[in-house]
Amino acid sequence: MDESITFLHSSDWQLGMMRRFLGPDGQARWGQARLDAVARIGDVAERTGARFLVVTGDVFEHNQVERQTILRACEALKRIPVPVVLLPGNHDALEPGSLWTSAQWTAHKPDHVTVVTGTTPLEIVPGVEIVGAPWRSRRPVSDPAAPGYAGLAPAEDGVRRILLAHGQLTSLSGGMSDVPTIDQAALEAAVADGRLQYVGLGDRHSTTQVTERIWFSGTQEVTAPEENDPGNVLAVTLAGDSITVEPQRVGAWHMVEHHAELDGEESLKALEDWFAELPDKERTYVRLAADGSLPLPLLSRLDAMVDAQGEVFASVERWAKFWTVRPAPEAADLDALQLSGPARAAMEELRQALAGGDESAGAALTLMHRLARDAG
Amino acid sequence: MRLHSLTLRNFRGVADRTVQLPAIGTTVVVGDNEVGKSSLVEAFTLVFDYPDDSKSKRIADVQPVGHDVAPEVTVELTLGGRELTYTKRWLKNRSTELSVVEPDGRRRSWTGREAHNEAERLFNENVDPVLWQTLMVTQGQSLILPTPADAEPLITAVTAESGTPVDGASMPLVSAVEHEYLRYWTPRGRPTGDFAKSAQAVAAAELRSTQAAKAMEEVVADIRRAERLALDLDDLSTRLAEHLKSVEELRVRKKETDEILLRRDSVRARAETARARLENHTRTRLERERLLAEVERFTQSAAELAELKAEAEKVAKASMETLHAAEAALAEVVELKDDRRSDVQHAEQRVSELMDRAELDRLTGQQAELADVRARIAAASRVLDGIKVTDALVAELEDARAKVVEARAALAAGVPDVLVRRVGADTVSLSGTGLDGGGSAVPSELDEGAEVSVLVSGELHVGVPGQVEVTVRAGGEAASLRSLVDEAVRRETDLLKRAKVRDLQAARELLRKSDTASAELQEARRTERSLTAGGDPGERIALLSARLGVTGDEEPEEEAAAPKGKQQPAVENVPGQMSLFEEFAEDTFDFEDLVEPLAPDDLAGAQRALEDARSELATAERLLADAEFAAAQARKAADEDRSEAQQARARAELAAERVAAATAELEAARAVLADEDVEAAEEKATAEVEAVLDELTAVQEQVDAAGADHVEGELTDALAVANRLQAERDALRDSLRTTEGRLEQSGRDGLATRQDAADLELAAIRAEHENLQRRADAARRVYETLGRHRAAAQTKYSEPLQSRIEALGRSVYGPTFRVWLDDDLAVAERELDGNRLRVEALSTGAQEQLAIITRLAISHLVSTTENSVPVIFDDALGWSDKARLRDMGALLGRAGDHGQVIILTCMPERYEYVPRATFIKLD
Repeated sequence: MDESITFLHSSDWQLGMMRRFLGPDGQARWGQARLDAVARIGDVAERTGARFLVVTGDVFEHNQVERQTILRACEALKRIPVPVVLLPGNHDALEPGSLWTSAQWTAHKPDHVTVVTGTTPLEIVPGVEIVGAPWRSRRPVSDPAAPGYAGLAPAEDGVRRILLAHGQLTSLSGGMSDVPTIDQAALEAAVADGRLQYVGLGDRHSTTQVTERIWFSGTQEVTAPEENDPGNVLAVTLAGDSITVEPQRVGAWHMVEHHAELDGEESLKALEDWFAELPDKERTYVRLAADGSLPLPLLSRLDAMVDAQGEVFASVERWAKFWTVRPAPEAADLDALQLSGPARAAMEELRQALAGGDESAGAALTLMHRLARDAG
Repeated sequence: MRLHSLTLRNFRGVADRTVQLPAIGTTVVVGDNEVGKSSLVEAFTLVFDYPDDSKSKRIADVQPVGHDVAPEVTVELTLGGRELTYTKRWLKNRSTELSVVEPDGRRRSWTGREAHNEAERLFNENVDPVLWQTLMVTQGQSLILPTPADAEPLITAVTAESGTPVDGASMPLVSAVEHEYLRYWTPRGRPTGDFAKSAQAVAAAELRSTQAAKAMEEVVADIRRAERLALDLDDLSTRLAEHLKSVEELRVRKKETDEILLRRDSVRARAETARARLENHTRTRLERERLLAEVERFTQSAAELAELKAEAEKVAKASMETLHAAEAALAEVVELKDDRRSDVQHAEQRVSELMDRAELDRLTGQQAELADVRARIAAASRVLDGIKVTDALVAELEDARAKVVEARAALAAGVPDVLVRRVGADTVSLSGTGLDGGGSAVPSELDEGAEVSVLVSGELHVGVPGQVEVTVRAGGEAASLRSLVDEAVRRETDLLKRAKVRDLQAARELLRKSDTASAELQEARRTERSLTAGGDPGERIALLSARLGVTGDEEPEEEAAAPKGKQQPAVENVPGQMSLFEEFAEDTFDFEDLVEPLAPDDLAGAQRALEDARSELATAERLLADAEFAAAQARKAADEDRSEAQQARARAELAAERVAAATAELEAARAVLADEDVEAAEEKATAEVEAVLDELTAVQEQVDAAGADHVEGELTDALAVANRLQAERDALRDSLRTTEGRLEQSGRDGLATRQDAADLELAAIRAEHENLQRRADAARRVYETLGRHRAAAQTKYSEPLQSRIEALGRSVYGPTFRVWLDDDLAVAERELDGNRLRVEALSTGAQEQLAIITRLAISHLVSTTENSVPVIFDDALGWSDKARLRDMGALLGRAGDHGQVIILTCMPERYEYVPRATFIKLD
């Protein structure tokens, strides 16, 4: 057991996933980016001297993904130069009609790729035994990891045993999971008594260390702004009794969420600066929340700014739920338009309706302001 | 602006004329057509618009035709407080002169182009062109309602009066708002353009999304189904395995119980055998008893039948004898009947003979009579042959006679009648052609004393020879009369020759004789026919004579009938069987009556004898019938008795045979088993049966204890259940395979990806649409809000003009007159007596009146400003009736109180009601 061994741990590739907020063009580029990230895992393997790669669940978004997704996944897998072990997760469970048993997969699967379909230990390389618990249904009735190591004796001398599992940990789910969770204590016990040397988990998209030997690798490429530190693959090195786990970045995209307080010229400028500082704009999705009120000219400027950034970034989304910027028409704004008679009266009516809480009057007022300004 | 005077020289048809116009009030310029009323208006326009060097056609047109003169116009007017005198001459000796007296009294003047420019500038500064055009109504334009919204002086006046500033500056905004609104909505408020398309796109995307979701739901349902099927299959397989185990146990148990059942089957078979054997012995005993009883019964029966046979044979013999006797009696009666028939035949023959003789006699008489008649016929025929006279001939003779007499009479009348009488002795000779009174020829001479009267037809010569000769000659017709007489006499003579008679009388006599002979001949012939009606009597006489054997003249001989002796019927008595026949013979047959009578010689006697013979034959035939009946009866009885005897004989023989057979059968049975051994064998078999039944009961108890009878049934049921479970498992397996097949297919179709793509598309389209919706809603809100405010402002803004139009209009139409103006301050609708109509729908007269009223109202509104202009009507009120003319005239008169009103007309009567008007007549 003195000889050290390095392998890679990834999960939640969810190939075939779609994000509606990206739009058709963004979706296409992001989908390709997820495959590119898989390919980059191969680079990491070469760089780190990893002996194999394990992917702990949700390789595909669905069992019913289109053929193109499967074929491109197989192409990406071919670029990984080490043996690969794939674990069916909740998205691609080994259920009836599963992708893993389909002709589309079996006909194109690269030879160096193995899918965990049972709990029988697999010696992936000499001295390393892989056990796993594939999902057989999207609705398991018990701890989805337990079948993987139930009844196992401690590993023989010189054999390192790695458990591949998929699901939420009881400790991290916050009791919100609607499917049975993985018993962390039991896992830790199995690690403690030497039955397992490493537990690779999937389902959580953020790279997360649970214990020294229990890890969520996180997704290879970000899928939502809420994710914390996605886009990594874990390089795990077992040497003697020690373990080293190093996250290696393979993702290229960013998904960020930003909340802007807008109350005037300066706040608008601050937002402009924030946009300007973001890197990789064409590979970045921004979910923008905004609050406050702006004079009509500034409101027009805000709209123009957001529209323009939407062209620069992969996507900038006004977060409807948290978008409460109101027009704040000032008398001076209206006077500047030099309106008289009915036009002035109409605008005044809209201004008062807005002040009275009629939100839709805001849009009308903004529009009328713009039309009057352009007409003037 | 006020016009003071206009002077035209060489302008169209006007050589030189000046019209002075009052600065205030209504002026009516009256003139016939072509005197240049319209030229006044035209001149005013041209003098400001065209410089003196203008080459415009309009200028060229005003030069009088055929006069090379220069059109010239001078106008005097007040413009913005300045007094202007402006003169312009075109085409020849061109000149322009402008003289201006400023309000402060300064006087300035310009000439040439400067004058033109200055006049133009002053005009443009002080006269609003829209107002000018609005208030100047040229010829034929009086119906057009003014649209004065762009007339600055009017706007100023309205604004000043209503306090509402004109929204002119926001008109571009109004257009922009409307433009924005119409990007999203139709004028009627329906979505349009990209907005409408995006709503459709959302609906289409929703449909695609729903369809994709539904397809995925089916996939998920299939997955659930497959999971459930897999579980069910596991469960069923387990149950099947358990069940098959119990089937196996039942098989083992069955093997054990089968042994016991085999044993029971063996005992059952033996019991069956013993029972059969016992039945066999019992049957043997019963058979032996039956045989013994039969032998006894048959023997007794045979003896009785033998007796019956003997008796029947005796009876048969007796009845046969009776039959023989009856047949002999019958033969005798037959013979008797034959004799009697022979007697009858003889009698019949005799009668026939006698009748033939009588006929022969009659025929002979008839033959004599016939000969007589034939002689008479011959005689009569001869007479008739000699007579040639006929009825016709006699008639012809009578006619010829009459003609002769007639001719002679004519002659006598036509010729000289000469009477010649011989009175002396001298011979008187006569000659010549004439006739005497009798018609005969003239005698050659007359006897003494004789006289003759001669009708001289030719010449008559009467002479006494040697003495005298007289010649009488007949006249000219005598010859022809004479020839007529001759002709008649000749015809009569010919007819008498044909009749071979002397004269007519003889002919008549002969004719009578002929009639008599004809009558006799006819009568004789009738008699002959009646005599020969039955044929020639000669033939029949010959026939009968031959039959009777006599010659024609011989009497037929009497045939001596041989008398027949009395005949006795030969009937013998049959001993022992007396008999119908005997009784019959005694009662009905008197042998003494059978004496044959002698043959009678006369026919009557012969006929009586025939009757008697026939009577006796009938009696004999009755006897024969009775005898035949008796014989038949006897024959029938004999047949029956013989048959009875034969049957009795057969029965007896049969009985004997049965006795023999039964005896033989009994002997045979005894040979097998003696009578005394039969019972012992039966007893032994009974004991065997009881023993084996005991054994069977014991085995059955073992079967019951082991439940062996039910094991097989249980096994069958268990196998049926196993089969059913297997079938269910197979069905589940099939369902699972089918579902998995479907899932495989849906996996290939990438249904989840499709659903995600559809949702993605829907979200994008929906976001786009919501964005458009927000914009559309904002546009609508702005449009409607602005529209509302504009409508309110417009109402307020148009009020000054509207109230003036209504005030003027009510003086014409009464208090119910109302109008509504549109955005251009043009009258859009008019109401009268509660009836509101668009102006286009009004009558021509009403439209013209409304157009005049509106102009007067505008004029009134702007009259207080410096920019007021005259109202000019070049011919109007051509469409109004008299009542309206009066009211309109009053209105036009009052309008003059506030400004300058100029009316050009050729019909001054239209304006005679205009009060205080200045009338200027152009000649």
